[in-house]
Amino acid sequence: MDVLDAIMGRRSIRRYKSNPVDDAKIKTVLEAAHWAPSWGNKQCWRFIVVRDQETRSKIADTLMKIRVENELVENAAARGIRQAPVLIVVCAEKGQAGFRSDGTPVTDKGDVWYMFDVALAVENLALAAHSVGLGTVIVGGFDTTRVEEILGVPDGYRVVTMTPLGVPDHAGQVSPRKDLAEVTYHEKFGR
Amino acid sequence: MELFEAIKNRRSIRVYTADPVDDAKIEAILEAGRWAPSWANTQCWRFIVVRDPEVKARVADTLFKVVLPDKVIENRATAIINSAPVLIVVCAVTGVSGGKLGGGEFEFLTDKGDWFMFDTALAVQNMVLAAHGLGLGTVIIGTADAPRVEKVLGVPEGNRVVAMFPVGVPAREGKVPPRKELSEIVFKDRWGG
Repeated sequence: MDVLDAIMGRRSIRRYKSNPVDDAKIKTVLEAAHWAPSWGNKQCWRFIVVRDQETRSKIADTLMKIRVENELVENAAARGIRQAPVLIVVCAEKGQAGFRSDGTPVTDKGDVWYMFDVALAVENLALAAHSVGLGTVIVGGFDTTRVEEILGVPDGYRVVTMTPLGVPDHAGQVSPRKDLAEVTYHEKFGR
Repeated sequence: MELFEAIKNRRSIRVYTADPVDDAKIEAILEAGRWAPSWANTQCWRFIVVRDPEVKARVADTLFKVVLPDKVIENRATAIINSAPVLIVVCAVTGVSGGKLGGGEFEFLTDKGDWFMFDTALAVQNMVLAAHGLGLGTVIIGTADAPRVEKVLGVPEGNRVVAMFPVGVPAREGKVPPRKELSEIVFKDRWGG
């Protein structure tokens, strides 16, 4: 698939078929993620491939509910996590991206460059999945501490995000984008 | 260009030719950024396209110097920015990404607080891939004194400069930084598994 077609055609997928996803495809999307650039080539990302249904279900339970007209409803992504045969949980090693070798942060962003670097990899992953016919939805709204407990993530690492990986059961909707003119300026902010 | 070719062969480019880059190509790159997913579709990213050599030089001057045991030298990315015809500065509107889902008063949902670093990076990755697909080079730069960049570019309160990347015709091929083995970074079903 052409790179621009992948970028424009990827959608967030929240309903999945039960079709299996083989290890070769998972390896393909993880390799794509791993080819992302990173701060000082630190590659702070780590991936946990969760196939075990019980673990996936426990993790789905950690997603925060969404308020709809004064009622708390389950995030549609939680259903997606239970449906899709694979869940990729993306973690980061702390103290790497954005840090000098003496352990001090370089910029005013402090220690959160791991959020940036992980996202570079996650975007590659989402594009690669789309091009091999698999859907993803990037999920951030969950109880991180509980997920870290479930997966045994040690100190020094953080769970950042996760996505189900499976055959889409719907086309996905196009989230309307702001016009390019609304988000682009020339030479100065606002111009 | 085929997606996997773009992903695997994109390199950080640190030497550019003097060739110009036309607006249509810059727009195609920005368009790719705009199609990134974002937290509840909040699209917190804002892009400033800098072509004016003087403005570009002032931004390049904010990059942190490198402190060596006996001297302080210019960050090599400063010269890289000055040598490329275009610099794209990526900003974020703060206080929109990472919010509670479903409306109501704004409140961060997770222990990560603001997700602007994450969302802007999704867009940046699309842009560097698109640039590579168009035959253009980029290198993502984070080591800038962002508050100074914000002054130079008139970025108002509530917005932050996150990162920047020059765009130009590569003068030579970038090198392949070694990657960890997949087995070092991928686990099954639980950490270490």
